[in-house]
Amino acid sequence: MSSSPRTRFAPGSIWAWVLLASIAVGLILAVVTDSVGALFPPEAATAQGREIRDLYTIVFVIAAVIFFVVEGLIVWTVIRYRRRPGDDELPPQTHGNNLAEIAWTVVPTLIVTFLFVISWQTLNNVEAVSAEPEVTVRVTGSQFAWTFDYLDAGGTSVAKQTVANGEGGILALPVGRSIQFRVHSVDVIHAFYVPAFLFKRDVNPDPDGRESVFELTIKGSFAGEVLRGQCAELCGLGHRKMTFEVHAMTQANFEAWLIEAQQTPPPAPSGPVGTTLQLVAKDIAYDTLELEVPAGEPFAIEFDNQDLAGITHDVDIRLQDGTVVANTTEIDGGSSTTYVYGALDAGEYTFMCSIHPVPSMTGTLTVN
Amino acid sequence: MATTAPALTPAASGYRSGLYEWLTTTDHKKIGILYVTNSFIFFFLGGLLALGVRTELAQPGLQYLADENLYNELFTMHGTVMIFLFIIPMLVGFGNYVVPLQIGAPDMAFPRINALSFWMLPLAGILLFTGFVTGGAAAAGWTSYSPLAQDRPLGSVGPGQDLWIVGLLLIGTSSILGSINFLVTIFKMRAPGMTLFRMPILVWTVLVTSVLVLMATPVLTSALVMLFIDRNYGGSFFDPANGGNAVLWQNVFWFYSHPAVYIMVLPAMGMISEILPVFSRKPLFGYKAFVFATAGIGALGFSVWAHHMFTTGSVYLPFFSLMTFLIAVPTGVKMFNWIFTLFRGKLTFATPLLFALGFLSMFLIGGINGAFSAAVPVDFALHDTYWVVAHLHYVLFGGSVFGVFAGVYFWFPKMTGRMLGEGLGKVQFVLMFIGFNLTFFPMHALGLAGMPRRIADYASDAGWNELNLAATVGGFLIAASVLPFLWNVFVSLRSGKPAGDDPWEGNTLEWATSSPPPPYNFDHLPEIRSERPVFDLRHGRAGSGH
Repeated sequence: MSSSPRTRFAPGSIWAWVLLASIAVGLILAVVTDSVGALFPPEAATAQGREIRDLYTIVFVIAAVIFFVVEGLIVWTVIRYRRRPGDDELPPQTHGNNLAEIAWTVVPTLIVTFLFVISWQTLNNVEAVSAEPEVTVRVTGSQFAWTFDYLDAGGTSVAKQTVANGEGGILALPVGRSIQFRVHSVDVIHAFYVPAFLFKRDVNPDPDGRESVFELTIKGSFAGEVLRGQCAELCGLGHRKMTFEVHAMTQANFEAWLIEAQQTPPPAPSGPVGTTLQLVAKDIAYDTLELEVPAGEPFAIEFDNQDLAGITHDVDIRLQDGTVVANTTEIDGGSSTTYVYGALDAGEYTFMCSIHPVPSMTGTLTVN
Repeated sequence: MATTAPALTPAASGYRSGLYEWLTTTDHKKIGILYVTNSFIFFFLGGLLALGVRTELAQPGLQYLADENLYNELFTMHGTVMIFLFIIPMLVGFGNYVVPLQIGAPDMAFPRINALSFWMLPLAGILLFTGFVTGGAAAAGWTSYSPLAQDRPLGSVGPGQDLWIVGLLLIGTSSILGSINFLVTIFKMRAPGMTLFRMPILVWTVLVTSVLVLMATPVLTSALVMLFIDRNYGGSFFDPANGGNAVLWQNVFWFYSHPAVYIMVLPAMGMISEILPVFSRKPLFGYKAFVFATAGIGALGFSVWAHHMFTTGSVYLPFFSLMTFLIAVPTGVKMFNWIFTLFRGKLTFATPLLFALGFLSMFLIGGINGAFSAAVPVDFALHDTYWVVAHLHYVLFGGSVFGVFAGVYFWFPKMTGRMLGEGLGKVQFVLMFIGFNLTFFPMHALGLAGMPRRIADYASDAGWNELNLAATVGGFLIAASVLPFLWNVFVSLRSGKPAGDDPWEGNTLEWATSSPPPPYNFDHLPEIRSERPVFDLRHGRAGSGH
């Protein structure tokens, strides 16, 4: 028919706007994404992560081809078949084509089936767990701390690291060895996530204490690297602070580190203490929110954490404006300790749990 | 009293002006307009909440939100409002207005239930927002995973979460009533000659959506009741501390909330399928394929919920991976049918078509980047990062919201009798299109670089600074694009160009009556012998090429 459209720019037609907008967007995106290396994940630090990255690359290539073909088809059709001014003739009224329908049902089905098969294969490799891993780490998530227990063959913890609000211990891991992680939570759902592993696993609370298990092997080239880790499942007020560092080590360095970590550091020597107060934490709350000590002399707080194991607390002292005066080491649920504080000037201070900065764990310390 | 005649005769229930009429109307067209208006109010509120989130994230460090819990409230309420009080009711509103017209019916089957369905929504919205002034709105995310949503220290203490539950219960009840109303209307009230396979595609999508709502929403509402019992009466359905199961909540929540994605997209697809043929002057390519694809998406939509749970370690991964991949097939069928509707057409670039093309090009990205998460090992890397935020916004904003604006520009003349301004419409489209991509495209890179969702702050050396700034600039551009729209509506209502009955040379029955239509819609109906009765009327049977 006479439906061949004009190639000249039709005044008032808006396709040029669309094109212009697309180009502008494309340019801006190119600039901003270029700054981080863009649309690929970081180099994988684990053998499993490398398989995931390879799978990503295959999916990406297929996706990019589909994107350019279909998006190109849209843009081309839009430019090619715009209506000329004054053209009132109807285009051919085609209602469909069964052969075409079959084609664009079958071909995508084949593509997604292929993608499913290769991702299932990768999944089996990534999920593989060995009967006797070379290193086993129990990961305990709590609001808002990670506890990493290094287990011996019998499942007993031989060394422990705690990171609360992103501060404290580290997750040291050897390269080139199979590392089994057994994760669980003591309160809400968290997620163990190390971007460079290209992997995360939800850290679920379970009434029966069941753990979720996965295994990773860090590549040798990553010895000496420090990798960021972070909770990836919203877990409350301190969610964003629930970070940790993975220190990848050579096997020799890891052995040495583990021996050092097994020796629990002795408590700090205490000076002469004037007043000693008692404080109990239970159900994420102190038993009192008002404490009083004399000015100008050291004092101590005997602190009893009666919450469940895995829920850590401490008793920091801050000025009213938030400046930290005393930063204490948190203790695990079910344990107690004595914190010793230096002399303070008269005035009002805040004592609080730095892991749980909530009203029920924020009190007033009056020094007079 | 004596003047309130029962709404049986057109004369008695005619268009009385004034507030009283709007508050008591049972006319599906007025209720449709109420739905649309109400949804836009919540769209603006939800947008403001999102701006709060983007403003805080523009730079590393906590700049604006002294109370960090407020940040959690902002994104929780943003997601909740946009899904439950904007997109879903907005599409119900268009369905309400257009479906009876398109099938040649005088009204919905149950007009009073229709009014009830609507009036639950503003009430639910008020309840949800009341949280902000009663000690904090819900802050456990729009997904409200248990045990974080339980009433306990460091969980969700206070009335905000309970208000959220009750608000969603109201919205769910409204949806269920609405879906029954749609199903009865579509099955029982079609005009003579309007066989199932002559129904406009929009009607088909509303039909399938209503089936989804009817089957999925009761699951959510029961789960909400269980969570309410957990929080207030010592239940332990979802709380492991008392022997409950945390992952169970995720199963029942997503059993509703994944089909909800199709509830939010199918009617928008239906609107696009009405608009593309009109502005390319061709019938929809592959009408029946389209119907089957819609039904296929609806059916498959019930077997993919656990793809939100791949990292829980508690689902059978290959099954949900396969089903998630497969759902791309009917979606792809639709995409090709849309493109071949344009192909060899004669395209007029009015604003409805621009937004429809925005839908096509952006929803395509939302479909493609979804395939990455269907590949389970890749999802291990992407889940709960900003990649997912990018994906869901390409589907729900690039898809549904662009579809909604296409529909607004398309049916505004029918609803009000006046045209929206084309110039302002195009300005809005260009601003929104650029702003949308600038906001959400960089989030793919952020997610790959390891930025998790739902954090108020991030380390300045994590390499996320520029991308976050770009996203925030884009967010404000989206906000700016709403201003020409509001001005456009304001000006057009006062002094817009009169629309006439059929300003676009439409295909379907709503264009065969006046703008706005009279009470009970039609004085007489044209003969219905195809899916384009008004086209047949204009061009005769010869033009349709049957």
